[in-house]
Amino acid sequence: MSELATLQDKEDTRRHRLLALPAILIMIALGLIPLMIVVVYSLMAPGEYGGVVPKFSLEAYVSLIFQRDMFDDTLTFSPAYLEIYLRTAIFGVVTTVLCVLVGFPTAYFMATRPADKRNIWVLLLTIPFWSNLLVRTIAVMFIIRDEGLINTILLDLGVIDHPITLLYTNFAILLGLVYSFLPFMVLPIYASLEKFDFRLAEAGFDLYANRFQVLTQIIIPLAKPGIVTGSILVFVPAFGAYVTPLLLGGGSHLMIGDLIALQFGSSRNWPLGSAFSIVLMVIVMLALLFQLRRSGQVKHG
Amino acid sequence: MSNIASSQTAKGGSVSILSVLKDFGNFRAVNDVSIEIRPNEFFTLLGPSGCGKTTLLRMLAGFEAPTDGKILLDGSDISMLPPNRRPINTVFQNYALFPHMTVAENIGFGLKMLGKSAAEISATVKEMLRLVRLEDAGNRSVTQLSGGQQQRIALARALAPKPKLLLLDEPLSALDLKLRKSMQIELKRLQQETEITFIFVTHDQEEALTMSDRIAVMNGGKVLQIGSAHDIYEHPADRFVAGFIGETNFLEGELTASAGGAGTVNLRCGVTVEALTAKSVASSGSVTIVVRPEQLEMVDPGSPQSVDATVEQIVYFGTDRHVHARLGDGTALTIRQQNRPGMREGLAEGQKIGVAIPPRVAQILKD
Repeated sequence: MSELATLQDKEDTRRHRLLALPAILIMIALGLIPLMIVVVYSLMAPGEYGGVVPKFSLEAYVSLIFQRDMFDDTLTFSPAYLEIYLRTAIFGVVTTVLCVLVGFPTAYFMATRPADKRNIWVLLLTIPFWSNLLVRTIAVMFIIRDEGLINTILLDLGVIDHPITLLYTNFAILLGLVYSFLPFMVLPIYASLEKFDFRLAEAGFDLYANRFQVLTQIIIPLAKPGIVTGSILVFVPAFGAYVTPLLLGGGSHLMIGDLIALQFGSSRNWPLGSAFSIVLMVIVMLALLFQLRRSGQVKHG
Repeated sequence: MSNIASSQTAKGGSVSILSVLKDFGNFRAVNDVSIEIRPNEFFTLLGPSGCGKTTLLRMLAGFEAPTDGKILLDGSDISMLPPNRRPINTVFQNYALFPHMTVAENIGFGLKMLGKSAAEISATVKEMLRLVRLEDAGNRSVTQLSGGQQQRIALARALAPKPKLLLLDEPLSALDLKLRKSMQIELKRLQQETEITFIFVTHDQEEALTMSDRIAVMNGGKVLQIGSAHDIYEHPADRFVAGFIGETNFLEGELTASAGGAGTVNLRCGVTVEALTAKSVASSGSVTIVVRPEQLEMVDPGSPQSVDATVEQIVYFGTDRHVHARLGDGTALTIRQQNRPGMREGLAEGQKIGVAIPPRVAQILKD
């Protein structure tokens, strides 16, 4: 009897493995192999017209931090790329924080609507996704440029004499990033708030908590899984953003994504571009690991 | 027992509910309810679902504002105070324990919000855990507890801030029968030890009868009768109360004479009984009398002062049995017999019996 069961188990495990095979093959073909190619490229020398020369070289990683003198080959410390990484990280973090600040009230509003009306709000939230990111970003440009909607209205109202420069600033990039990624924050928070039992909030009021305390001590802690998921979903793509800073930053406020694109494009330095990508990926992985461990500790603590 | 009571600074408060109305759109959930609740009383709001009892409780807690009328706690109007500013705590039907906090954090939550010191909170939490007999549960997660334990923690959490009034919204309805019985005794003990006024909402008449000092029976948003368990069972004010509390037989008849709290009723089934009258019953006319199944006696058919009936069904309960019988005129009667050595053996369905109504047990209802 038990032997039969064991046999059955083995059979089941085998079948489960077989069923997972297509997914594993796809992950190897589309995830692991390209990644390996990027790693290998980053360890080679750049070809003259793009591409790589199959020759082992750490030059790409060296030039992340140092500048090689053209004439005497000496290395001098050059923080230019590191600064762009730092800028990118700051943009990523600020975008995430702004998305939480705007996304939480939005999600709360949606979750507290009558059950039959909530789907309409979810639908409205997803409408921006129906058009291309490029189109949406250019639409933002039209709104904030010197002759754009905001400046025109402010000029007409006589609030300002000269147009305020909004486009091609850090503000423009942040606005674009928050606008692009806000739904990724709202949806997970909404999902956790929708399951929230509002009788717990009543219990909080009953036990002498004011509105602010009910929010910070009961609602936010219980919506935390949604906030964490949303933060990851916003931080990771914001960190690697390419189109938004390119268009709204006007090329003068580079983020790491633009730098990578540049290496594969006009700079024709594929190994350096690959090295940038690998470093970017490692930073994101470390950030996620840190986040995971922190939320894990909270659970046990 | 006495150390809890003596450490109690705020004893139970008195509550005056004055002509309270509550409308939800066109629906009147609570209709002109007035109740005086005494300090340190175990008061029960009893009624079927939708009778307005929970709405009334939510108005006491502060989750709903009365459309009209006032609620006084120890003489001061609290009708418009938000829940967090009323010295009143609630035990919720589903307990509503905070799942992200430990048992101790749950119990201490109210005190923390009141700005008590950490030392005072931990001392009170310990006291409360002892009170509900879960001394070792403080560090556990509330999600690891059984239903009965969660119930006790919900009680401890609501009692910890030492409110003047504790509201209980059907707190036992999720427990199984055995646990429910022991929690009934537990609740009564907690109420006596803490000397806090308890207002208990239930649709379970047995729960109401066993625990309460006084009961208000509600239906359709109105209070039909307020009285002790004994009053309400023995002297129901009207047909609804009589039917809702326990099993009851209704018999139609003609009141021929009444004096001194009793009246003579010629029942339609042919016998004449002497029945108790409530104050406001007319001195004559057609009336309904109510007789409890345990008040009826089974005798041989044709005995004097009895009415003939046919046994339709016998339901055995262990401690007693219910005999469902039908009179000649089609009226159904239930007779309850205690299970004792003298209980009639060999009673069979279809058998003819006599049913006697002893004098001065049946109650005449006002219509």
